Amino acid sequence: MEQFLQQLINGLAVGGIYALIALGYTMVYGVLKLINFAHGDLFTYGGYLGLTLLTSLALQGRVGTAAAVALLVLMVMGLVGVMGVVLERAAYRPLRESPRLSAVVSALGASIFLQNALMLLYGARVQVYPEGLLPQVAVSLFGLQVPLLRILVVLASVVMMAALYLFVQKTKIGTAVRAAAIDQGAARLMGIDVNKVVSLVFLIGPALGGVAGLLVGLYYGQVNFTMGWIYGMKAFTAAILGGIGNIPGAMVGGLLLGVIEALGAAYLSIAWKDAIAFCVLILILIVRPTGLLGERVAEKV
Amino acid sequence: MNVRLALALLAGVALLAVAPLALDAYWLDVLNSVGLYALLALSLNVILGDAGLFNMGHAAFYAVGAYTTAILSTQLHLPVLWTLPLAGLAAALFAAVVARPVIHLRGDYLLIVTIGMGEIVRIALVNDVFGLTGGANGLFGIPRPIVFGYKIRKPAEFFYLIWAFVLLTVFLFDRLEQSRFGRALTYLREDPVAAEGSGINTTRYKLAAFVLGAAWAGMAGTLYAAKMTIISPESFNFWESVQLFLIVILGGAGSIPGVILGAVLVIVLPEAFRGFATARLLVFGLVMMVMMVFRTQGLLPLKRPRFREKDLARAEAAR
Amino acid sequence: MNRAMGLALALGLLASGSAGAADTIKIGLMAPMTGSWASEGQEMKRNIDLLAEQANAKGGLDGKKIEVIIEDDGGDPRTASLAAQRLTTKGVVAVIGTYGSAVTEATQNIYDEAGITQVANGSTAVRLTEKGLKHFFRTCPRDDEQGKVGAAAIQKMGAKRIALLHDSSAYAKGLADEINAILKANKQNVVFFDALTPKEQDYSAILTKLKAATPDVVFFTGYYPEAGLLLKQKKQMGWNVPFMGGDAINNPDLVKIAGKDAAAGFQFLSPPVPKDLDTPEAKAYLASYKKKYGEEPGSIYGVLAGDGFTAVTKAIAATKSTDADKIRDYLVNKLKDFPGLTGKLAFNAKGDRVGELYRVYKVDKNGEFVLQPK
Repeated sequence: MEQFLQQLINGLAVGGIYALIALGYTMVYGVLKLINFAHGDLFTYGGYLGLTLLTSLALQGRVGTAAAVALLVLMVMGLVGVMGVVLERAAYRPLRESPRLSAVVSALGASIFLQNALMLLYGARVQVYPEGLLPQVAVSLFGLQVPLLRILVVLASVVMMAALYLFVQKTKIGTAVRAAAIDQGAARLMGIDVNKVVSLVFLIGPALGGVAGLLVGLYYGQVNFTMGWIYGMKAFTAAILGGIGNIPGAMVGGLLLGVIEALGAAYLSIAWKDAIAFCVLILILIVRPTGLLGERVAEKV
Repeated sequence: MNVRLALALLAGVALLAVAPLALDAYWLDVLNSVGLYALLALSLNVILGDAGLFNMGHAAFYAVGAYTTAILSTQLHLPVLWTLPLAGLAAALFAAVVARPVIHLRGDYLLIVTIGMGEIVRIALVNDVFGLTGGANGLFGIPRPIVFGYKIRKPAEFFYLIWAFVLLTVFLFDRLEQSRFGRALTYLREDPVAAEGSGINTTRYKLAAFVLGAAWAGMAGTLYAAKMTIISPESFNFWESVQLFLIVILGGAGSIPGVILGAVLVIVLPEAFRGFATARLLVFGLVMMVMMVFRTQGLLPLKRPRFREKDLARAEAAR
Repeated sequence: MNRAMGLALALGLLASGSAGAADTIKIGLMAPMTGSWASEGQEMKRNIDLLAEQANAKGGLDGKKIEVIIEDDGGDPRTASLAAQRLTTKGVVAVIGTYGSAVTEATQNIYDEAGITQVANGSTAVRLTEKGLKHFFRTCPRDDEQGKVGAAAIQKMGAKRIALLHDSSAYAKGLADEINAILKANKQNVVFFDALTPKEQDYSAILTKLKAATPDVVFFTGYYPEAGLLLKQKKQMGWNVPFMGGDAINNPDLVKIAGKDAAAGFQFLSPPVPKDLDTPEAKAYLASYKKKYGEEPGSIYGVLAGDGFTAVTKAIAATKSTDADKIRDYLVNKLKDFPGLTGKLAFNAKGDRVGELYRVYKVDKNGEFVLQPK
């Protein structure tokens, strides 16, 4: 039982990161029906930029830990968000009216480009965050010692998901985003500047991905230039699992995927872990073809 | 097949026939790679281009074929080329079994399922499933193919073997596209609802496209295994599937010349950019983006049959 | 039409690509310059570049300058076979590389058929030298060799319950299997044998499962990034079990990833690194490396590539010939106790490096790798 709880917490912590990245996938998908394969690489940039900012600004020790982290989060969000907007302008906007899969190829090209640019800029070796920035405290939870940071990672993703959900559901701009997601043409007729909405989505989604990258860097202490590929894939899986285009779905999918992986590793086989996760995904999709929280809609072509 | 296409094909054949005389072993091997990927991409094109099914796990079928050949030729000592139809059959059977429950999933959901399938196959191979696949080491010592008593080993010899198969494939798939089956797939891709309304059994046609594409990928796997003489799970990872996907879309989904051009670009460009050393993939990624932005329909998009007045007249006359 | 275009493109590139003077001796380096193992490939290049520079400063080989031709194998077999074909058409007399065993294997026949000497630097799979290829050598030891040393080190610790963890790569699985077989033969209790998924960040699920098996020692046969994370996350869990590892862990980045506290006490097997050799050659090399690149060599495999280079150039200089048969004859029969960068160099008839190369290293509390006495 203790091991089960421990694994559950392990899974939730990993799933929290998946969920944060999945939010970016799902937002972009919701509006453009585009799988932004470069999203995972933007996540990696978050991790690298965070490191560069942290060391070059010498934040450590000058301001308090909380303030330093908050500053870092804001800066990384801003920078990666801008990268997302630029990426959309350069690689996706020209393809908006063409077949959906054309943009996928452009996205893959962008992914290769971004990943290799990072390798050339920073070198291929693993980059390491300075030690001791965050306190390594453990709290007692159901009789288990759980590192505080793990809880914070999960909380951070839940908070951001909630904020995003409220933003999309309750604000005027959010309504515009939803309108554009349902029917771009009609949204335009209603006076919504769809290009602005798309830019906004490409600001928010990558910003969240960037924060996830920063969290990974802060928590695990290392980043490498290929990590976006695996995290991106997992997050995409999570988004699909929850029902792509659906914000709470991304959250549920991310956390669930993390838990499935941890429990699969614990009770079945570590070596088969990813295969187990994919098997569960396929089974779920056979039963619910549009994911757990996805709406049942006929495909628009 | 129209006259222009036939002429182009003829010119292509002539060029290919003399290529080994003009090129060194390296460029011939690059062309061999192009040929293999062209075969794989043509097989994926039946699924992705013709039937419009998002399959990003094609490497799984390729792997099943390659491993079938490797196991049969090293354990049972069957001649490599004899295993070609068996590899195709194995991949087809595999596709039929795994695709049946998921074939109805729409676009992106099918995409992730096929990605998952590809990963499951790779992980199974790594973990030495059934004790047959040699785990992460893979299988080695696959014999060279023998054609009419002649052992094929040099790049130039493989060149003829591979490209002969490519030409045969182009011919067959071109015929297929013109056939009733091919037209049904086109209908299905363009308007699944209307297709179903017109009495096309969508599930059966989709499944047939999947199985056919898989079978062909399996046979390409045989050629790959024979050429490399060693195969390991890493040769069939997710990136391989992505590359095949890229080739089809970049060239122009559904268009056979487009897919072949796509294979040329995706294989030759990274080689051509070797001069950029560590930046070669950076340049490759950039070029891919730029190509797609400027040719949004793919480089050589499928020419959709146009409605012409004289066709109408002919139809009227025939009535 | 399209094929014609592709062919024309290929021909054009070919015409522009082939050039080179005949008064140099060309040595190829096949290394993963891109892809997952790019850091290893780039280290390999650094070592070879430096050694070629030094050799040329001394007048080159036989009065000719050495020209290093680098081809990227991308860390995958298919790209590697193309890189190998390319090197053979560029007139190289010998090729150094490469890192991964499967990648090397895809190129062995190509070099062999072209009569080019190949000296692999990181490919430890046993079977590579069991095929009877005449012109294949390697400067790294084999997995079975390391398996023996690893099993011995575990037994020396007196561990009763042993956990083996690998990462499903050919190398790590091979090493884990070797150790497992020896331990089982000696009736040792292996309580855990499984594989993690490399390139992930979070291994807490695996560690939790490992902990439940209550081993006395965990031997991880994979690579340093995962080892670093395992150590770090083990520390965060507050679990105090000794960890050991194989030679793919010999990289200073291990300590950076794990942190000094978490890495302290970790033991791994490795050929000795240059700083632990008291030969003047090794000391001088280390100094010049630091001077050129501002840091010490990061990876032992890069240095082993350097060893391949020195062995081959030594053979060419001694035989005054670039003939592969003569190079082989020299390397197998004449080269004895040659002071390499990682200790004495010599090869047996299979092309394997002879001598017991593996030593045990321990990470001290300052994060330094300390060679343990035999």
